[in-house]
Amino acid sequence: MPGTVYVVTSGKGGVGKTTTTANLGGAFAKLGHKVALVDADIGLRNLDLVLGLEKRIVYDLVDLVEGRCQPRQALIKDRRFDDLYLLPASQVKDKEAVTEDQMRIAMRKLAVDFDVVLVDCPAGIEHGFRNAIAGADQALVVTTPEVSAIRDADRILGMLGRRRARLIVNRVRPEMVRSGDMLSIEDVKEILGREIVGVVPDDEEIIDTTNRGEPVVLDGARRLGRIYNAIARRLLGEDVPFTNLADDGLFTRLRRLVIGS
Amino acid sequence: MDTQDNDAVRPSTALTVQDAIAAAQTQTAPSEAVAPQPAAPAQPKPTAPKTIGRTIVITSGKGGVGKTTTTANLGTGLAEAGKQVVVVDADVGLRNLDVVLGLENRVHKHLLDVIEQTSTLDEALVRDRVRRSLYLLPAAQNREKDDVPTDAMAALVQSLAERFDYVLIDSPAGIEKGFRNAVIGAKEAIVVTTPEVSAVRDADRIIGLLPPGVEAKLIVNRVRPALVKKGTMMSVTDVVDILRLELIGVVPDEKEIIIATNRGTPVIDIDGSQTGAAFRRIVKRLLGEQIPIPSFQAPEGFVSRLKASLRLGRS
Repeated sequence: MPGTVYVVTSGKGGVGKTTTTANLGGAFAKLGHKVALVDADIGLRNLDLVLGLEKRIVYDLVDLVEGRCQPRQALIKDRRFDDLYLLPASQVKDKEAVTEDQMRIAMRKLAVDFDVVLVDCPAGIEHGFRNAIAGADQALVVTTPEVSAIRDADRILGMLGRRRARLIVNRVRPEMVRSGDMLSIEDVKEILGREIVGVVPDDEEIIDTTNRGEPVVLDGARRLGRIYNAIARRLLGEDVPFTNLADDGLFTRLRRLVIGS
Repeated sequence: MDTQDNDAVRPSTALTVQDAIAAAQTQTAPSEAVAPQPAAPAQPKPTAPKTIGRTIVITSGKGGVGKTTTTANLGTGLAEAGKQVVVVDADVGLRNLDVVLGLENRVHKHLLDVIEQTSTLDEALVRDRVRRSLYLLPAAQNREKDDVPTDAMAALVQSLAERFDYVLIDSPAGIEKGFRNAVIGAKEAIVVTTPEVSAVRDADRIIGLLPPGVEAKLIVNRVRPALVKKGTMMSVTDVVDILRLELIGVVPDEKEIIIATNRGTPVIDIDGSQTGAAFRRIVKRLLGEQIPIPSFQAPEGFVSRLKASLRLGRS
């Protein structure tokens, strides 16, 4: 049975697609799955930097779809995990270098060899977006509890066709939700009307780990590591309660929202 | 839709794209009909004739670094300084500048309507209720960036420059058609980045894609001095050293910006906000004042790593 291809998308940029892709990929790999991460942001790649693999790029996605290399030549193994691979984007080409059909074929081939394929989508709704979603079975829509991010998420949810789409609400600041300065998870769910599969708090650690190229999920003891692990397990069908933010007062809300409903 | 407000901006005749394209092609001085003198006296403009406003694209490559927030705040600040300002949302399909300015309920027509002549410019412009010399030209939400012809976009920006002292264009993320349309009519660029490796790398990439002759300046946004001191964030000096652009501002990270955006009130108007104060200083620098910029220190490490990655990217 082929693996599942998820596109990690958002509409708005800078909400955490690449960070989510890297950490969720790491979480799946730690759970024993064979994972390929695909950077679809041709011309503005960053997944390699977030994973700390930028020096090992030889071939890229464009080389692969144009038949200049074999998949195993383009896929870079992340040695810190058992089975995590990166298919990097080209930095010098532009998004028109790849067609939707080529992406569909390439993702179908990857799904034969991998349990989970995560496609890191570029911001926006142009060719790069259409390429990234072309080969995806399901979508993970990353948003933040901010009006502009939610508006963009709403817009792209309408462009995902019949794919199952679930939400990851990123950069939540519980103290701002409590003071009424930030939308609550409930609000986000109500506006977007989709299942929430993860709630990730705003955490300075992400800036640090991104700058160092060490996904936070590497350290399973860290709070964010546990959160990404829980998201991966939910995507695999496990019923994992949203207990991580209990001390933040979000728990009761989430309980009512996700578990209770 | 507030017709009264739109009537208030109707000293000019209806502007068509043909007029705009013709004006752009002939490069002649604007006629009285399309270029009424702004109420405020025009500031001397070093690189353009007196009646032509400055055209500045706010761009970044990476999304979510603060382009729209920067556009809204600089537009607000320049209008409060007495300038005639139009902010143009070039993010067709994913507009947000209207929300950040709190004008979303008054958007009726948009940029593509003007280009396709289903609406006049005056019908599409939304006038801010508080800062009366600030106007928004909204983007279409249900259209695609490919629908905007690049020539027409250049002509539109040119025609706006004949009417306004400042034309600020909010670029979409990425480097596709939307980006190319946003930069095409601008003579100047403000590149917004954050002190993070991915944002700096994307900024480096788009600086190389700006049309020749565009004068680019840099804003380093979302600086967290505490993280810089701890050594987990790049310093502004590092960023400038990598990107080699003239720095026009450093904006600290603050939760006020989220509150301001959610409420549709530009943070520049919030007293006591560090972020707002930083934008006020940038406005003054744009107007030609010399105001020193604070800077912070950070250790090497990821800076050398990023530099190496840029060399790889260019090879």
